[in-house]
Amino acid sequence: MLTSILEQTVNGLMAGSVYVLIALGMVLIYGVMHVLNFAHGVLFMLGGYVCHFIFTRVTGSYLLAIVLSMAVLAAIGIALERGVFRPLQGNLRNQVIASLGLILAIEHLVIAVWGPNALQFKVPATSALVPLGELRFPVQHLLVIAVTLTVVAALFIFLRRSKFGTAVRAASQDRQSAMVVGIPVERIDWITFALGTALAALGGALIGPLFLVFPQMGDAPMVKGLAGILLGGMGSVPGAVIGGLLIGVVESLSTLVLPTDYRDSVAFFIMVAILLVRPRGLFGVRVRGED
Amino acid sequence: MRTLVALVLLFPAVVLSQNKVAIGIVTSLSGPMAAPGKFQMNGFRLAEEEINGAGGFAVGGRKHTVELKVQDTRANPAEGASAMQRLATVDKVPLVLGELHSGVAAAEAPIAQDYAVPLILTIPTGPGLTEQGNRFLFRVNANNDQLTAALAEFVAKQGWTPLSFIAWNNDAGRGGVNGMKRLLGETKIGYTGYFNVGEVDFSSHVSNIRAQNARAVMLLMDEEPGSLAIKQLRDAGLKTQLIGTLAMGSDRFLARLDAARLEGMVQYNAFPPNASVPRIKAFSDRYRKKYGEEAHGFAAQSYDGLMLAVAAMQKAGTTTDGAKIRDALAALEHDGVIGRIRFDAKGQASPPVYVTQWCANGSRRVLYPESLKADCGAG
Repeated sequence: MLTSILEQTVNGLMAGSVYVLIALGMVLIYGVMHVLNFAHGVLFMLGGYVCHFIFTRVTGSYLLAIVLSMAVLAAIGIALERGVFRPLQGNLRNQVIASLGLILAIEHLVIAVWGPNALQFKVPATSALVPLGELRFPVQHLLVIAVTLTVVAALFIFLRRSKFGTAVRAASQDRQSAMVVGIPVERIDWITFALGTALAALGGALIGPLFLVFPQMGDAPMVKGLAGILLGGMGSVPGAVIGGLLIGVVESLSTLVLPTDYRDSVAFFIMVAILLVRPRGLFGVRVRGED
Repeated sequence: MRTLVALVLLFPAVVLSQNKVAIGIVTSLSGPMAAPGKFQMNGFRLAEEEINGAGGFAVGGRKHTVELKVQDTRANPAEGASAMQRLATVDKVPLVLGELHSGVAAAEAPIAQDYAVPLILTIPTGPGLTEQGNRFLFRVNANNDQLTAALAEFVAKQGWTPLSFIAWNNDAGRGGVNGMKRLLGETKIGYTGYFNVGEVDFSSHVSNIRAQNARAVMLLMDEEPGSLAIKQLRDAGLKTQLIGTLAMGSDRFLARLDAARLEGMVQYNAFPPNASVPRIKAFSDRYRKKYGEEAHGFAAQSYDGLMLAVAAMQKAGTTTDGAKIRDALAALEHDGVIGRIRFDAKGQASPPVYVTQWCANGSRRVLYPESLKADCGAG
């Protein structure tokens, strides 16, 4: 039983890391622009495809492919912010509808370019197996967790210590006041968007080699990431990290006692239960301009 | 002059007498079952080419060629129902063939009955489909109960129990598990885990199978999840005996993984493409010539389905009357590539079932039935 718990905890941390990468992007964009970008799951998927393309067609270096796919997706993020979300600024309903439309547009574009079938993403460098007691995990599996933790740490330092990070936090606390004290909020908007989509791309690029790259690969992680955000508290960056990891670990451990086909329901059951006790989530912050 | 005019006027009639018969096809060109859908279409296309290449088939003194009206049902029941409706009412086809997904077939079958258009399934294995009393539904391929009956006999003989499962959370998966439970007895069944179509992470099943110390694990799923599950089980260091479905006994499946991970795995199979049975060998050669790859059971079943449909139209003496074609199908006996096809009162055929095993060098051998046992390279 102990072995199973250990194995499922590692698996849960891996799944949770992916939710965290999606949740972080969504929560940063939500904080600054007050829009929930539901298209974040398909951007995650697009990141997987772009990384697969660069890795198989352009360079044989997985590391370089990850970095380039993040750059490509950041550019796409900037284009989306400029072309879709900025013109709709101030109209939450239209922004949400636009993000839902983007899901269809991007998913069908991917199917048109790469076809509907799942692609195999074989990275020999990270397919070696690491023994952990009697258990074994592929390097890729542990890489997902390690990279996510590093990125989270870097992001925290960036938001807390750098001048730009302070400006991002100021803009998400009060956009008007931030503008008054001379913070260029529009620049913060697009940089945040680029950062958010790059994080989604990182998630897709990391998970692709473990499983497959396919058009629906972002659907479940996006919903789980969103659940992580709500669980952690809407608008809270630490909340998104803890919430995402918690959902990953709890749903993985639940399969040791419950039938595996209940795994998804467990994640949402936990979310609802915690929101009943703490309506603002675990780390809920009161965001001005809301309710 | 008059004869010339008459000839010119007659000419279109001469051309028209080479009638085209539109036959409905429901398959997956896209979506999660697009990969096996390709095999299905390959089988239909090969049969179409051979029928039309031979000048078509004669019904009531006229030659007819086959034209396939292909609908993509995307493993989606709603798409399947609307495709079936369209084929019956807009295209007015005399019969429909195909489908891969048992859930989608269940949505299509009642429409076939409503419009008296026979539906011949060539791949779905959910046993419940042919238990609905639907007179217009036929199934060429063996269903899960038939496949598992052969496998259960084999597994029991090998002593591979308790048997664990990772299975699709649908009629095909749950039906397969229940079938094995019935045949082997509840006590011989270990861990049973279900997953939804589209899920790719099997780590929770791996943990549970390890914890239960399962003697063997059966993977009731198709190619894509199958390759992921095997990779994850083997990467986690589990040496459990693997038992797969007929989607896992092909060269294409080998290309997704490698011989080391597959070695020793057995799977039931409706069609061992390298067996030294003349009808199988002949089909495999023709298939390889056209598509440049190893023949697949789904293609053989679908090929037989279309050939059977043509035979039924000839026997019924009509290319339009669905009810008459149905009666002809019910009474027909057809020597197909997969074996003799004859439908029982429920519309289910009973083609032979094989068990093949992966060898260390990436070829396969036939282990069951005893009479056809053959060594590596013949499976």
